[in-house]
Amino acid sequence: MSTAIQTEAGDTFPFPKDYSFPAFFTRQPNLQTHHAQLEKWSALVLAYARHHRLFRLSPTHPVFHNKKLDRRFAEPDARELLEHMRKDGRVEWVGNEVFVYWRKPEDWARKLEKWVEDTAQKGHVLTLYEITEGEATLGTEFHGMDGEVLLKALNHLVKRGRAQIFGQDDSLGVKFF
Amino acid sequence: MGNSSSKPRGQVTEQDKAILDLKLQRDRLHRYQRQITVLTDKETDVARQMLAKGDKRRALLALRRKKYQETLLSQTDAQLAQLEQLTSKVEFAQIQKDVVFGLQQGTKVLTQIHAEMGGIEQVEKLMGETADAIAYQQEISDMLGGKLTAQDDEEVDEELEALEREMAGGDKTVDELPSVPDANLPEREREQQAAREAQAQAQKQEQPLAA
Repeated sequence: MSTAIQTEAGDTFPFPKDYSFPAFFTRQPNLQTHHAQLEKWSALVLAYARHHRLFRLSPTHPVFHNKKLDRRFAEPDARELLEHMRKDGRVEWVGNEVFVYWRKPEDWARKLEKWVEDTAQKGHVLTLYEITEGEATLGTEFHGMDGEVLLKALNHLVKRGRAQIFGQDDSLGVKFF
Repeated sequence: MGNSSSKPRGQVTEQDKAILDLKLQRDRLHRYQRQITVLTDKETDVARQMLAKGDKRRALLALRRKKYQETLLSQTDAQLAQLEQLTSKVEFAQIQKDVVFGLQQGTKVLTQIHAEMGGIEQVEKLMGETADAIAYQQEISDMLGGKLTAQDDEEVDEELEALEREMAGGDKTVDELPSVPDANLPEREREQQAAREAQAQAQKQEQPLAA
């Protein structure tokens, strides 16, 4: 899914000026400069992921490769960047990838809660598939969202006693209260 | 949920699980439809390619496969509709159960309150007593009221007249104030004799004092 989106809208994302600056792709040796570099990359990755509605990202993702300049933010550097972002709670490792939280799970949870409230679906049973793929959520922000991120968001609601998740692993449902 | 009022909040019931099963089944059909749609699109492509190559037999085969998949698609459509109907029926039945439960509760409370009121005769009796009490109170008021008017009517009228006079003759009251005396008091005269030179000033001062 993610690859399709990248190619489809890859050129419409307005990259910042730094992106056409070769040094941006080289790990800066100076500590302060490196920190500034990481901050800029972090903002770029978040904006990029938000633009393309990317939920997962790997350190070898095309965003780290500027084909025009033929420059690449090397994988170890990207890994370091993602680790830096993890400390800010902006990504979370899943194996070799990360979940990119351009919207944090608790914010998704709030959005979901509001949607359930607005559509009067309290006390209703919904499947997780229905929430991300169903016709009822067409036009909402969580349509097409990553299933695992959705689950994380729902778990926030469960913790607050606003929902309960039940069913089997690959066929989960949720009931809102 | 009606029965959730008696159970702790956030309970998943057997019905919920049944609904989830129905919805999961619907999701499965939904996925299957998407898969078939992809297949039919592919078969059309294949048929077009075969036709371009001049292989009419294979093009026909591809179209037949596509036709078959399309019948599958319409069958799943019907199944999907059935499932959705069933789901909404179950959900509606749940709501009906809630309504019945609500009615039951309401009726129970209503009968309880009626029992506390002690039946219709009791209410009739009470209403009679209330009417009696009101009539009695009226009688007392009339009696007292009659006496009071006889005694106080005159006084009230007088007070009214006084008020009217006061309001109509607001400026007159100023005129009716006693006038300032012109004559000097005897002690003052002795003082004046002692201080003849300052008489004019003394008089000016004394006049407001006398007033």
